[in-house]
Amino acid sequence: MKILVCIKQVPDMESKFKLDAAGLWYARTDLAWRMNEYDEYAVEQAVQVKEQFKDADVTVLCIGPEQVKETMKKALAMGCDRGAHIADDEVWAKEPFEVAGVIAEFARGKDFDLIFTGMQSQDRGSGQVGVLVAEMLGMASVSTVVSFAFDGTTVTAKRELEGGVKACINVKTPVLVTCQLGMNTPRYPTLPNIMKAKKKELLSTPVADLLKVDKRQETARMYFPEKKGGGQVLEGDLGEMADRLIKILKEKTAVLS
Amino acid sequence: MEFTREIYWNVGHGALTLVPMYLLAIIAIGLLVKGALARVAIYRQGLPLNRFDQWQRRLTVALENVLLQKKVTRVPWPGLLHGFFFWGFFLLFIGTTLIVIQADFTDLLFDVKFLTGTFYKLFSVTLDLAGLVCIVMLAGLLLRRYFFPPEGLETKRDDAIMHGLLFTILLTGFVIEGARMAVTELGTELAPWSPVGLAVANLLSGVGEGGLRLLHKLTWWFHLLLVMGFFILIPLTKFRHILSTSSNYFFSDLGPKGKLVSLDLENEDSESFGATSIKELTWKDIFDADACTLCKRCQDRCPAYNTGKPLSPMKLVNQIGEVAFTNPEANLIDTISKDVLWACTTCRACQEICPAGIEHVGKIIELRRSMVLMEGEFPGDEVMTAMEATEVNGNPLGIGYAERGDWAGELGVKSLAEDAEVDVLYFVGCYGSFDKRNIAVARSFVRLCQAAGVKVGILGKEEKCCGEPMRKMGNEYLYQSLANENIETIKGYEVKKVVTTCPHCYNTLAKDYRDLGFEVEVVTYTVYLKELLDSGRLKLDAADLACTYHDSCYLGRHNDIYEAPRQLLAAAGGKLVEMDKNRAEAFCCSAGGGRILAEEKLGERINIKRVQMAVATGAPTLVSNCPFCLTMFEDGVKGAGVEEQLKPKDIAEILAERIRQ
Repeated sequence: MKILVCIKQVPDMESKFKLDAAGLWYARTDLAWRMNEYDEYAVEQAVQVKEQFKDADVTVLCIGPEQVKETMKKALAMGCDRGAHIADDEVWAKEPFEVAGVIAEFARGKDFDLIFTGMQSQDRGSGQVGVLVAEMLGMASVSTVVSFAFDGTTVTAKRELEGGVKACINVKTPVLVTCQLGMNTPRYPTLPNIMKAKKKELLSTPVADLLKVDKRQETARMYFPEKKGGGQVLEGDLGEMADRLIKILKEKTAVLS
Repeated sequence: MEFTREIYWNVGHGALTLVPMYLLAIIAIGLLVKGALARVAIYRQGLPLNRFDQWQRRLTVALENVLLQKKVTRVPWPGLLHGFFFWGFFLLFIGTTLIVIQADFTDLLFDVKFLTGTFYKLFSVTLDLAGLVCIVMLAGLLLRRYFFPPEGLETKRDDAIMHGLLFTILLTGFVIEGARMAVTELGTELAPWSPVGLAVANLLSGVGEGGLRLLHKLTWWFHLLLVMGFFILIPLTKFRHILSTSSNYFFSDLGPKGKLVSLDLENEDSESFGATSIKELTWKDIFDADACTLCKRCQDRCPAYNTGKPLSPMKLVNQIGEVAFTNPEANLIDTISKDVLWACTTCRACQEICPAGIEHVGKIIELRRSMVLMEGEFPGDEVMTAMEATEVNGNPLGIGYAERGDWAGELGVKSLAEDAEVDVLYFVGCYGSFDKRNIAVARSFVRLCQAAGVKVGILGKEEKCCGEPMRKMGNEYLYQSLANENIETIKGYEVKKVVTTCPHCYNTLAKDYRDLGFEVEVVTYTVYLKELLDSGRLKLDAADLACTYHDSCYLGRHNDIYEAPRQLLAAAGGKLVEMDKNRAEAFCCSAGGGRILAEEKLGERINIKRVQMAVATGAPTLVSNCPFCLTMFEDGVKGAGVEEQLKPKDIAEILAERIRQ
């Protein structure tokens, strides 16, 4: 069984973001980098499948500059077998269709039974890459999966829909799954696995070898949201405050209508 | 008259006495050695550890503690009972040895007797009184154990055997003496030199000589059999502490105090880290269980035990011993339980008070290391989150690393990257850098340095968590990564001295980093400020302040810094009211041992308990010296509902308010 997990290195969301000089993306200085949260669920699920079916081989793929290898090593330490690094110093400028194109080009002909991606990235948040890859490879895809079971041929997945409704889906391999919070609890890598990860295969391919599709979107501008008025603190008599609150809610919101 | 007595009086000097006596002695000592060696084989299941180095220093420690009973008598009431019993018993042992030397060697072979004259008189009265002291002390210990047992004192079969046997040996000794004196010494000038023996002799004086001689002979042999039984029982009962506890002083950890063993993470052949079985602990860890006398002093002081958590340091040490002796294949973590292992705050109260030189904390850390490094397990998800946050941002609070030095900007403090020409490097720590309450402390410290004309630099965004909470939680890998990064950063500048306001940073940089090649001098701010004050560089205007002072575990027990902060407080006008538990007996705030990263889910809250102790002093201010303590006390005054009565403050804040303008 062959499994592919696609991960992305993103800045820690606690960082203080600034815009880059061109105003097209955030500045990449003074940031701490980590694995995209949703991709951690993807890696964990892939490793769980590998533990369930001993003969599975898990490849972890990541596009980006040299520094993304640090994040890939974490995935290898969590239990992935080999790393495929697509070297691209300008990955931040690639739009989702291009990213999906690169991944699909890598995966084509390699007969992956399962592909896991995060539901979206924490920085760009397009939510498109996973499903686009599936489309390009002509395989089924299930998005925003919060529960995953696999019997070797059929995946039983629960998707999270609006308002907490869940959809249960059975789908045969090959299939691509995009992972959402709640699917699992990513493991903390053990020290022997961290040591083993250092020796695992981690090959780099220039992105130019795999980029066969054309750009479809262009980022026009990036900006911080305008600062709107702050909160309002009501003070005074309790009953009076309640009346004023109801008035505000009726006038300015739709929660009471 | 000649002041002496006939050794082997009435029992005979011939082969009929000596042969069976020596045969019994050889058998008894043989069994003692056999029993002891059987236990040594069990200790040897553990990993090697060199505790035979610096033998002169070790011997001094051992003699101090055995002969002077230094650690035992630190808890006065039972300690002195034991101490006096020991001293009495030791004199009896020496006395008996002298008798053996004279009767069976010098007199037998060379006709030399030295137990004569004035020396005999002194010998006689000393031994006589020593026996009395032993009986009285034993009675005291018996009353304590069986009639007024303190809470938590475990009484087992061994205790009954020990009390019964020792009592009978001592009593029969006096019966033998009394019977002999009734026949040979009554009315002589020598008799008063054996006051207890004389009293017994007077009691027996109505019995005729024939009866006395029979009583003497029978009791003599009975007494001998009991003593032989005592020898045999040493390795088999708690009597073993005579050998094991004494040896354990010799095997003590000679320091630096509380320094953990650094794991070799570069060794690619090692497949396991930390311990899950006794084979992965050292022989000393098993030996410690044999040195334990179940005195429960550790348990009495354990903050976890005293707030309803499942940890008892005494029980843990003995569980390791029990596994080693009965089921060496057993998994220690399952036997002891994870909740027990995670409950420890590494406050060191157990180790500090232990009269047997047992090392509790290292064992707990070894077992935690296995859980974290081999299983990726933590006491809760919040701890794993903090670990991951530290991996990414270099602090467990998860705040962006680039903001680490922001607090210092308005004070004009620069990072070494901007200006490396400084007097001291202030290693701020995560809480001083990011936590609002503790930023106030960091700023106070900088203002004090500036007032004293000291130029302070920080590492700013180059500083990382020192790794202490991670290390104590068992995450040696993350600790060493952080430590190596910090060491490399500091080595990049010409740093002469590092000052810390966090005792956890202090302990880690000053002790733990030494294993990783860090050599710069490290001082804690209380000692550093005391120096500035003494040299006249720092000038304070004292203003009265009623307060109580909390000794943090890592400034106190781990580093024995008790007086410098108190002297600083006094210089600032502090009127100190001590809590009952202060200095080496101080009660933990709950946040050591990496517990600062974990929620306290079991039992009562430790910090609330400590805050209540502070409230009981009546002082309105609780002064501490550690960011973790301050955090726990700010939380504790709210939890205890005493925000109006008690204000937690750091000592740097008190001093900074009193800088002479």
